[in-house]
Amino acid sequence: MFKPTQSLFGGLLWKTPWRLSSPQKARQRKRLRAVDRVVDTVSAALARNGQNTKAVERWYKEMPREEEMLPKDKYTLFDKKEKSYRKGIHKLPKWTRVSQRVNPPGF
Amino acid sequence: MSYFRITLLRSAIGLPRRTTDVLKALGLKKRMATVFHPVSSSAAGQIMKVKELVEVKEVENYMSQHEVWLERKPDPGYYVEKTVAQERGESLQQ
Repeated sequence: MFKPTQSLFGGLLWKTPWRLSSPQKARQRKRLRAVDRVVDTVSAALARNGQNTKAVERWYKEMPREEEMLPKDKYTLFDKKEKSYRKGIHKLPKWTRVSQRVNPPGF
Repeated sequence: MSYFRITLLRSAIGLPRRTTDVLKALGLKKRMATVFHPVSSSAAGQIMKVKELVEVKEVENYMSQHEVWLERKPDPGYYVEKTVAQERGESLQQ
């Protein structure tokens, strides 16, 4: 029996799930913590040598740590075209290798 | 003087050209490569550019590439009691 589905009509159909799965979320948290750890190591090493870097200071001023972040900001990001103004962070190109932690206030 | 021990864990394929250039400047050419840089603000700035891709430790001593390799070398499962030359020397003495 023919069952009209999107994939039979359209041929190739790529589907990206709208939200992350729980292992994906766990790995995302792991990556966030790894970046925190790198920044902490660099900062501690510089402090021991009595130096500082603008990039590290700016990171601490602007970026929240993994444990300070809301789940909303860990797994989704702002998108003006979405009805809820949020989309899954996995829609961001190269999302496992970029730091995307802050979103516009109020959204 | 302490050093940054930097290991490249994730490749920069598909990332902006500058990211690859920073890795090249740090001397990281392929994944799992390890380099040592003295702790300085310029090295720190470079690390901050690629912080998502690397693992960083602060260490006291510089290690050569060979020493880094020896760390990763698995235990052969045997040890050499005596070499052929030693054994021959002993047999000649008797």
